[in-house]
Amino acid sequence: MQVVIFNGSPRRKKSNTKLLINSFLSGYKKVIDTKVPVYYIASLNKKEELLYAYKNAKTVIIFFPLYTDMMPGIVKEFFEDISKIKNSERKKIAFVVQSGFPEAYQSIFVEKYLEKLAKRLKLDYIGTIIKGGVEGIKLMPSWMTKELFTNFSSLGEYFAKNNEFDEEINSKLRKPYKMSKIKRNLFSIISKTGLTNFYWNGNLKRNKAYEKRHNHPYAQKWSH
Amino acid sequence: MKITILNGDLETKNSDFSDYIENLVKQFQVNNNIVDVFHLKKMELSYCHGCWNCWWKNPGLCSTKDDAEIIFKSYINSDFVLFASPLYVGFTSSSLKKISDRLIVLLHPYIEIRNKESHHTKRYKNYPDFGLLIKEENDTDKEDIQILNDIYDRFAINFHCKKRYLKSVNFNTVKEIVNASCNI
Ligand SMILES: Cc1cc2nc3c(=O)[nH]c(=O)nc-3n(C[C@H](O)[C@H](O)[C@H](O)COP(=O)(O)O)c2cc1C
Repeated sequence: MQVVIFNGSPRRKKSNTKLLINSFLSGYKKVIDTKVPVYYIASLNKKEELLYAYKNAKTVIIFFPLYTDMMPGIVKEFFEDISKIKNSERKKIAFVVQSGFPEAYQSIFVEKYLEKLAKRLKLDYIGTIIKGGVEGIKLMPSWMTKELFTNFSSLGEYFAKNNEFDEEINSKLRKPYKMSKIKRNLFSIISKTGLTNFYWNGNLKRNKAYEKRHNHPYAQKWSH
Repeated sequence: MKITILNGDLETKNSDFSDYIENLVKQFQVNNNIVDVFHLKKMELSYCHGCWNCWWKNPGLCSTKDDAEIIFKSYINSDFVLFASPLYVGFTSSSLKKISDRLIVLLHPYIEIRNKESHHTKRYKNYPDFGLLIKEENDTDKEDIQILNDIYDRFAINFHCKKRYLKSVNFNTVKEIVNASCNI
């Protein structure tokens, strides 16, 4: 097996991660016309199969959503599992981290961990793609997500040709790196209008839960 | 003080690390603290499914019904939390990470700019500060410690609190941990 992809989202087939993998593969297939296997790390009942696929892959790409500034717990478990596998030959590894908050900065700490992990597991580290602002892409009209999907498709195409990430696209995807002062000010102005909470409020109202939005059920009575 | 200890040790029996935690609990109690200690691997705990029910269906409540609820209650009503775990491939255990992910139930979906970055607003008035207690691996180096410090500092920003310390059972005595935790 050449390239194997792992989807590390707990949402599995309903994940944003899946949409990004699909775009990546649509570009990949323009160059190499083979089916790239995609495994779901959250399919815990298929662990043996997953680890077998990992063991036999020459190049592994792991996509996952940022969860509290790190990989999700199930992805950590996957790392613990693969650390026990003896690699017969050298393997290459690459990562794609996508997050809810818009700034790439939020993911650069897990990136350092991933680079170190590759070193620790004696894998050749290809690199890490970081993309913020991904929560909600399913609800966005296609004109809003077109650029994102095109970039991921180009990323896949380049990867098929070079077994590497295109650094130009990588740096494009990492924007914004941090919130500029202008953006921050704009945010505080807009948040007064309630527009920044549009996504959450819409969903709260749809579920008839808007009135309960400030509930804090786990607090002991006397503490509030 | 009320203290919550989340023990992420993946070993469920005959573990030096968990013995250390047991001693630590006793020492905390001698000093008149109330301690809840959870050995995560011994509990029924799922991972966060990312369903957002806790944010937009039943605000503040996790829909996954397992042992996590007592942890949420203990955590949010504590004065101090100890994240305790041996390191596995350079980071605290998957058990500890799984419950950390689920702590998102304690936050609000709304976003504010804090520390010049986007972060979620508070759902509760107070969030406990925490300490990090690890056991090093044979190959743990300065870089690993830096990564841990960075990531848990990020956790502190997200969870409206402070990381008080990172200490290691390899170098710190139970007494030292108690002192570091209780000297507010
Ligand atoms: C438990 C949990 C923790 C999260 N933590 C972060 C975070 O620390 N930073 C961030 O930018 N986004 C965070 N997110 C948002 C996800 O990264 C984002 O929604 C992502 O697009 C989900 O992708 P998926 O559908 O593939 O799972 C978190 C989401 C969940 C459910």
